[in-house]
Amino acid sequence: MYIIVVGGGIVGYGLGLELQAMPGHEVTIVERDGGRAAQLREELGEMVVHGDGTEAAFLDTVGCGRADLLIAVTADDGANLVACQVAMHWFNVKRAIARVNDPRNEELFHRLGVDSTISASRAVLAQIEATLPEHTVVPLLRLEGSNLRVVDLRLQGDAPAAGVAIKDLTLPRGTLISLIIRTDGSPQVPSGDSVLHVGDEVIAVIPDDAEEAMRVLITGHPSADGHG
Amino acid sequence: MGCGRVGAAVATRLAEEGHAVTVLDTNAFAFHRLPSGFTGTCVTGSGTDDRILEEAGVRRADAFIALASGDNRNILAAQKAKHMFGVRIAVSRVKDPLRSELFARLGLRTFSPTKVGAELAYDALFQG
Repeated sequence: MYIIVVGGGIVGYGLGLELQAMPGHEVTIVERDGGRAAQLREELGEMVVHGDGTEAAFLDTVGCGRADLLIAVTADDGANLVACQVAMHWFNVKRAIARVNDPRNEELFHRLGVDSTISASRAVLAQIEATLPEHTVVPLLRLEGSNLRVVDLRLQGDAPAAGVAIKDLTLPRGTLISLIIRTDGSPQVPSGDSVLHVGDEVIAVIPDDAEEAMRVLITGHPSADGHG
Repeated sequence: MGCGRVGAAVATRLAEEGHAVTVLDTNAFAFHRLPSGFTGTCVTGSGTDDRILEEAGVRRADAFIALASGDNRNILAAQKAKHMFGVRIAVSRVKDPLRSELFARLGLRTFSPTKVGAELAYDALFQG
Protein backbone atom coordinates (compact mmCIF):
# COMPACT_ATOMS: atom_id res chain seq x y z
CA MET A 1 0.00 0.00 0.00
CA TYR A 2 1.20 3.52 -0.73
CA ILE A 3 0.18 5.92 2.03
CA ILE A 4 0.58 9.69 2.10
CA VAL A 5 0.44 11.36 5.49
CA VAL A 6 -0.18 15.10 5.39
CA GLY A 7 1.12 16.85 8.49
CA GLY A 8 4.26 16.09 10.47
CA GLY A 9 3.09 17.08 13.95
CA ILE A 10 2.92 14.66 16.84
CA VAL A 11 0.25 12.55 15.17
CA GLY A 12 2.01 12.48 11.81
CA TYR A 13 5.27 11.59 13.48
CA GLY A 14 3.67 8.76 15.46
CA LEU A 15 2.11 7.41 12.29
CA GLY A 16 5.39 7.69 10.44
CA LEU A 17 7.20 5.71 13.11
CA GLU A 18 4.63 2.95 13.07
CA LEU A 19 4.16 2.74 9.32
CA GLN A 20 7.90 2.73 8.78
CA ALA A 21 8.12 -0.39 10.93
CA MET A 22 5.56 -2.18 8.78
CA PRO A 23 6.95 -3.99 5.78
CA GLY A 24 5.07 -3.87 2.53
CA HIS A 25 4.03 -0.24 2.85
CA GLU A 26 5.46 2.81 1.23
CA VAL A 27 4.89 5.99 3.17
CA THR A 28 5.44 9.66 2.48
CA ILE A 29 4.98 12.28 5.17
CA VAL A 30 4.33 15.76 3.85
CA GLU A 31 5.23 18.63 6.18
CA ARG A 32 4.71 22.24 5.18
CA ASP A 33 7.17 23.79 7.64
CA GLY A 34 10.73 23.49 6.34
CA GLY A 35 12.39 23.40 9.75
CA ARG A 36 10.05 20.78 11.10
CA ALA A 37 10.43 18.72 7.90
CA ALA A 38 14.23 18.77 8.25
CA GLN A 39 13.95 17.70 11.88
CA LEU A 40 11.63 14.82 11.00
CA ARG A 41 13.88 13.81 8.13
CA GLU A 42 16.79 13.34 10.49
CA GLU A 43 14.76 10.84 12.42
CA LEU A 44 12.55 9.19 9.80
CA GLY A 45 14.71 9.66 6.71
CA GLU A 46 13.69 9.95 3.09
CA MET A 47 10.01 9.37 3.72
CA VAL A 48 9.62 12.95 4.93
CA VAL A 49 9.09 15.57 2.24
CA HIS A 50 8.84 19.32 2.64
CA GLY A 51 5.80 20.75 0.84
CA ASP A 52 2.15 21.79 0.90
CA GLY A 53 -0.05 18.70 1.12
CA THR A 54 -3.13 20.64 0.05
CA GLU A 55 -1.62 21.70 -3.27
CA ALA A 56 -2.38 19.41 -6.20
CA ALA A 57 0.81 20.36 -8.07
CA PHE A 58 2.91 19.35 -5.08
CA LEU A 59 0.97 16.18 -4.32
CA ASP A 60 1.60 15.17 -7.91
CA THR A 61 5.35 15.25 -7.27
CA VAL A 62 5.01 12.73 -4.44
CA GLY A 63 2.99 10.36 -6.61
CA CYS A 64 -0.46 11.02 -5.20
CA GLY A 65 -1.95 9.46 -8.33
CA ARG A 66 -0.85 6.02 -7.23
CA ALA A 67 -1.60 6.45 -3.51
CA ASP A 68 -4.01 3.98 -1.89
CA LEU A 69 -4.67 6.14 1.12
CA LEU A 70 -4.16 9.73 2.19
CA ILE A 71 -4.31 10.65 5.85
CA ALA A 72 -4.46 14.33 6.76
CA VAL A 73 -3.51 15.00 10.37
CA THR A 74 -2.55 18.65 10.59
CA ALA A 75 -3.92 20.90 13.34
CA ASP A 76 -5.88 22.82 10.70
CA ASP A 77 -9.28 21.39 9.73
CA GLY A 78 -9.38 23.39 6.51
CA ALA A 79 -6.07 21.93 5.38
CA ASN A 80 -7.14 18.41 6.36
CA LEU A 81 -10.42 18.66 4.48
CA VAL A 82 -8.83 20.16 1.37
CA ALA A 83 -5.99 17.63 1.33
CA CYS A 84 -8.53 14.80 1.41
CA GLN A 85 -10.76 16.34 -1.25
CA VAL A 86 -7.81 17.04 -3.55
CA ALA A 87 -6.65 13.45 -3.11
CA MET A 88 -10.07 11.97 -3.80
CA HIS A 89 -11.30 14.23 -6.57
CA TRP A 90 -8.11 15.29 -8.33
CA PHE A 91 -6.09 12.09 -7.99
CA ASN A 92 -8.88 9.52 -7.50
CA VAL A 93 -7.37 8.23 -4.27
CA LYS A 94 -9.95 5.77 -2.99
CA ARG A 95 -9.70 6.42 0.69
CA ALA A 96 -8.95 9.61 2.59
CA ILE A 97 -9.00 10.06 6.33
CA ALA A 98 -8.95 13.41 8.07
CA ARG A 99 -8.25 14.33 11.63
CA VAL A 100 -10.96 16.70 12.86
CA ASN A 101 -9.75 19.21 15.40
CA ASP A 102 -13.11 20.89 15.87
CA PRO A 103 -15.75 18.17 16.43
CA ARG A 104 -18.38 20.46 14.95
CA ASN A 105 -16.73 19.93 11.56
CA GLU A 106 -17.25 16.19 11.63
CA GLU A 107 -20.65 16.24 9.96
CA LEU A 108 -19.41 18.45 7.11
CA PHE A 109 -16.48 16.14 6.41
CA HIS A 110 -18.86 13.21 6.38
CA ARG A 111 -21.22 14.91 3.93
CA LEU A 112 -18.31 15.69 1.65
CA GLY A 113 -17.32 12.04 1.49
CA VAL A 114 -14.14 12.20 3.51
CA ASP A 115 -14.06 8.61 4.62
CA SER A 116 -13.51 8.77 8.35
CA THR A 117 -13.22 11.65 10.66
CA ILE A 118 -12.29 11.49 14.28
CA SER A 119 -11.59 14.12 16.85
CA ALA A 120 -8.79 12.87 19.02
CA SER A 121 -5.34 11.98 17.82
CA ARG A 122 -5.47 8.66 19.58
CA ALA A 123 -8.62 7.83 17.68
CA VAL A 124 -6.87 8.72 14.44
CA LEU A 125 -4.32 6.07 15.18
CA ALA A 126 -7.05 3.58 16.02
CA GLN A 127 -8.78 4.38 12.75
CA ILE A 128 -5.60 3.76 10.84
CA GLU A 129 -5.10 0.60 12.79
CA ALA A 130 -8.51 -0.48 11.52
CA THR A 131 -7.66 0.56 7.98
CA LEU A 132 -4.29 -1.07 7.93
CA PRO A 133 -3.65 -4.71 8.80
CA GLU A 134 -4.99 -5.80 12.17
CA HIS A 135 -1.71 -6.70 13.77
CA THR A 136 -0.52 -3.16 14.20
CA VAL A 137 1.24 -1.93 17.30
CA VAL A 138 0.18 1.70 17.53
CA PRO A 139 2.72 3.86 19.38
CA LEU A 140 0.99 6.30 21.68
CA LEU A 141 3.83 7.78 23.66
CA ARG A 142 7.56 7.43 24.15
CA LEU A 143 8.56 7.89 27.77
CA GLU A 144 11.48 10.27 27.69
CA GLY A 145 14.67 9.22 29.44
CA SER A 146 13.83 5.53 29.41
CA ASN A 147 13.66 2.76 26.87
CA LEU A 148 9.93 2.48 27.45
CA ARG A 149 6.98 3.31 25.28
CA VAL A 150 3.22 3.16 25.56
CA VAL A 151 1.54 1.18 22.81
CA ASP A 152 -1.96 0.20 21.78
CA LEU A 153 -2.81 -3.23 20.36
CA ARG A 154 -6.04 -4.98 19.51
CA LEU A 155 -6.42 -8.60 20.49
CA GLN A 156 -6.91 -10.83 17.46
CA GLY A 157 -8.73 -14.14 17.31
CA ASP A 158 -5.71 -16.28 16.57
CA ALA A 159 -3.47 -14.62 19.16
CA PRO A 160 -1.83 -16.67 21.92
CA ALA A 161 -3.26 -14.28 24.55
CA ALA A 162 -6.91 -14.73 23.50
CA GLY A 163 -9.01 -16.15 26.34
CA VAL A 164 -6.05 -16.25 28.72
CA ALA A 165 -5.76 -14.57 32.15
CA ILE A 166 -2.95 -12.02 32.38
CA LYS A 167 -1.20 -13.92 35.16
CA ASP A 168 -0.93 -16.93 32.85
CA LEU A 169 0.65 -14.98 30.01
CA THR A 170 4.36 -15.01 29.37
CA LEU A 171 4.82 -11.29 28.91
CA PRO A 172 8.09 -9.89 27.58
CA ARG A 173 10.37 -8.77 30.41
CA GLY A 174 9.59 -5.26 31.67
CA THR A 175 6.13 -5.19 30.10
CA LEU A 176 3.10 -3.86 31.95
CA ILE A 177 -0.45 -4.17 30.67
CA SER A 178 -1.93 -0.92 31.94
CA LEU A 179 -5.43 -0.81 30.60
CA ILE A 180 -7.90 -3.01 28.79
CA ILE A 181 -10.66 -1.42 26.78
CA ARG A 182 -13.39 -3.97 26.25
CA THR A 183 -15.35 -4.19 23.01
CA ASP A 184 -18.24 -2.27 24.61
CA GLY A 185 -15.84 0.62 25.18
CA SER A 186 -15.51 0.23 28.93
CA PRO A 187 -11.98 0.68 30.31
CA GLN A 188 -10.69 -1.71 32.92
CA VAL A 189 -7.53 -1.62 35.01
CA PRO A 190 -6.47 -5.22 34.75
CA SER A 191 -5.55 -7.58 37.58
CA GLY A 192 -3.74 -10.88 37.19
CA ASP A 193 -7.07 -12.63 36.90
CA SER A 194 -8.35 -10.44 34.06
CA VAL A 195 -8.92 -12.51 30.95
CA LEU A 196 -8.17 -10.98 27.57
CA HIS A 197 -10.89 -11.40 24.95
CA VAL A 198 -10.83 -11.07 21.19
CA GLY A 199 -11.43 -7.45 20.18
CA ASP A 200 -10.12 -6.00 23.44
CA GLU A 201 -7.87 -3.02 23.08
CA VAL A 202 -4.75 -3.38 25.17
CA ILE A 203 -2.73 -0.38 26.29
CA ALA A 204 0.68 -1.47 27.53
CA VAL A 205 3.98 -0.03 28.64
CA ILE A 206 6.73 -1.99 26.92
CA PRO A 207 10.50 -1.80 26.57
CA ASP A 208 11.58 -0.86 23.04
CA ASP A 209 12.88 -4.34 22.34
CA ALA A 210 9.64 -6.06 23.39
CA GLU A 211 7.46 -4.77 20.58
CA GLU A 212 7.78 -7.83 18.39
CA ALA A 213 7.07 -10.26 21.23
CA MET A 214 4.00 -8.25 22.23
CA ARG A 215 2.81 -8.09 18.65
CA VAL A 216 2.91 -11.86 18.37
CA LEU A 217 1.31 -12.38 21.78
CA ILE A 218 -1.60 -9.99 21.29
CA THR A 219 -2.17 -10.05 17.55
CA GLY A 220 -0.85 -13.47 16.66
CA HIS A 221 1.17 -12.03 13.79
CA PRO A 222 4.86 -11.25 13.51
CA SER A 223 5.57 -8.00 11.70
CA ALA A 224 7.32 -9.54 8.71
CA ASP A 225 4.61 -11.82 7.38
CA GLY A 226 4.02 -9.79 4.27
CA HIS A 227 0.87 -7.83 3.68
CA GLY A 228 -0.36 -4.88 1.63
CA MET B 1 -15.83 36.51 5.35
CA GLY B 2 -12.58 38.46 5.50
CA CYS B 3 -12.45 42.24 5.69
CA GLY B 4 -9.23 42.84 3.87
CA ARG B 5 -9.02 45.23 0.95
CA VAL B 6 -11.01 42.97 -1.34
CA GLY B 7 -13.56 41.96 1.28
CA ALA B 8 -14.13 45.55 2.37
CA ALA B 9 -14.56 46.72 -1.23
CA VAL B 10 -17.05 43.97 -2.07
CA ALA B 11 -19.01 44.51 1.15
CA THR B 12 -19.15 48.26 0.55
CA ARG B 13 -20.38 47.83 -2.99
CA LEU B 14 -23.05 45.29 -2.04
CA ALA B 15 -24.27 47.47 0.83
CA GLU B 16 -24.46 50.49 -1.48
CA GLU B 17 -26.57 48.43 -3.87
CA GLY B 18 -29.06 47.86 -1.07
CA HIS B 19 -28.16 44.31 0.01
CA ALA B 20 -28.14 43.35 3.66
CA VAL B 21 -24.47 42.63 4.33
CA THR B 22 -22.68 41.10 7.30
CA VAL B 23 -18.88 41.23 7.35
CA LEU B 24 -16.79 38.72 9.30
CA ASP B 25 -13.20 39.10 10.33
CA THR B 26 -11.11 37.55 13.09
CA ASN B 27 -9.52 40.93 13.72
CA ALA B 28 -11.91 43.77 14.62
CA PHE B 29 -9.28 46.27 13.47
CA ALA B 30 -9.95 45.15 9.88
CA PHE B 31 -13.35 46.84 9.95
CA HIS B 32 -11.65 50.23 9.73
CA ARG B 33 -11.40 49.52 6.00
CA LEU B 34 -15.16 49.94 5.69
CA PRO B 35 -16.44 53.48 4.97
CA SER B 36 -17.94 55.43 7.86
CA GLY B 37 -21.42 55.27 6.35
CA PHE B 38 -21.34 51.48 5.97
CA THR B 39 -24.86 50.17 6.51
CA GLY B 40 -23.97 46.52 7.07
CA THR B 41 -23.18 44.57 10.24
CA CYS B 42 -19.73 43.59 11.48
CA VAL B 43 -19.08 40.38 13.43
CA THR B 44 -15.70 39.61 14.95
CA GLY B 45 -14.73 35.96 14.70
CA SER B 46 -13.74 33.18 12.34
CA GLY B 47 -15.95 32.35 9.40
CA THR B 48 -14.98 28.71 9.78
CA ASP B 49 -16.54 28.63 13.25
CA ASP B 50 -20.15 27.41 13.32
CA ARG B 51 -21.05 29.62 16.24
CA ILE B 52 -19.82 32.74 14.51
CA LEU B 53 -21.61 31.79 11.32
CA GLU B 54 -24.85 31.33 13.26
CA GLU B 55 -24.33 34.66 14.98
CA ALA B 56 -23.90 36.24 11.57
CA GLY B 57 -27.24 34.77 10.48
CA VAL B 58 -25.84 32.31 7.94
CA ARG B 59 -29.06 30.28 7.93
CA ARG B 60 -31.01 33.07 6.28
CA ALA B 61 -28.20 34.18 3.97
CA ASP B 62 -28.68 33.96 0.22
CA ALA B 63 -24.98 34.09 -0.50
CA PHE B 64 -21.66 33.60 1.27
CA ILE B 65 -18.39 35.03 -0.02
CA ALA B 66 -15.08 33.77 1.44
CA LEU B 67 -12.30 36.31 0.97
CA ALA B 68 -9.93 35.54 3.84
CA SER B 69 -6.25 35.09 3.13
CA GLY B 70 -5.98 31.30 3.32
CA ASP B 71 -7.30 29.13 0.50
CA ASN B 72 -8.15 26.23 2.76
CA ARG B 73 -9.94 28.37 5.29
CA ASN B 74 -12.02 29.92 2.51
CA ILE B 75 -12.86 26.53 1.04
CA LEU B 76 -13.79 25.10 4.45
CA ALA B 77 -16.06 28.05 5.27
CA ALA B 78 -17.71 28.19 1.85
CA GLN B 79 -18.43 24.47 1.83
CA LYS B 80 -19.78 24.71 5.34
CA ALA B 81 -22.11 27.56 4.37
CA LYS B 82 -23.33 25.60 1.36
CA HIS B 83 -23.56 22.08 2.72
CA MET B 84 -24.33 22.63 6.41
CA PHE B 85 -26.33 25.85 6.39
CA GLY B 86 -28.01 25.63 3.00
CA VAL B 87 -26.63 28.87 1.57
CA ARG B 88 -27.41 28.68 -2.14
CA ILE B 89 -24.49 30.67 -3.52
CA ALA B 90 -21.05 30.05 -2.03
CA VAL B 91 -18.17 32.02 -3.51
CA SER B 92 -14.57 31.40 -2.55
CA ARG B 93 -11.34 33.08 -3.46
CA VAL B 94 -8.76 30.35 -4.09
CA LYS B 95 -5.28 31.57 -4.98
CA ASP B 96 -3.99 28.19 -6.14
CA PRO B 97 -5.36 27.83 -9.71
CA LEU B 98 -5.66 24.02 -9.58
CA ARG B 99 -7.45 24.10 -6.25
CA SER B 100 -9.73 26.80 -7.64
CA GLU B 101 -10.60 24.61 -10.62
CA LEU B 102 -11.20 21.56 -8.46
CA PHE B 103 -13.56 23.24 -6.02
CA ALA B 104 -15.46 24.88 -8.87
CA ARG B 105 -16.10 21.34 -10.04
CA LEU B 106 -17.24 20.45 -6.51
CA GLY B 107 -19.92 23.12 -6.40
CA LEU B 108 -18.33 26.33 -5.17
CA ARG B 109 -18.13 29.47 -7.26
CA THR B 110 -14.40 30.02 -7.16
CA PHE B 111 -11.96 32.42 -8.73
CA SER B 112 -8.20 32.46 -8.65
CA PRO B 113 -6.57 35.89 -8.24
CA THR B 114 -3.29 34.23 -9.18
CA LYS B 115 -4.58 33.09 -12.54
CA VAL B 116 -6.41 36.34 -13.24
CA GLY B 117 -3.37 38.33 -12.12
CA ALA B 118 -1.04 36.41 -14.41
CA GLU B 119 -3.36 37.01 -17.36
CA LEU B 120 -3.63 40.71 -16.58
CA ALA B 121 0.15 41.01 -16.27
CA TYR B 122 0.59 39.30 -19.62
CA ASP B 123 -2.03 41.49 -21.26
CA ALA B 124 -0.48 44.63 -19.78
CA LEU B 125 2.84 43.67 -21.32
CA PHE B 126 1.48 43.39 -24.86
CA GLN B 127 -1.24 46.04 -24.84
CA GLY B 128 -1.19 48.97 -27.26
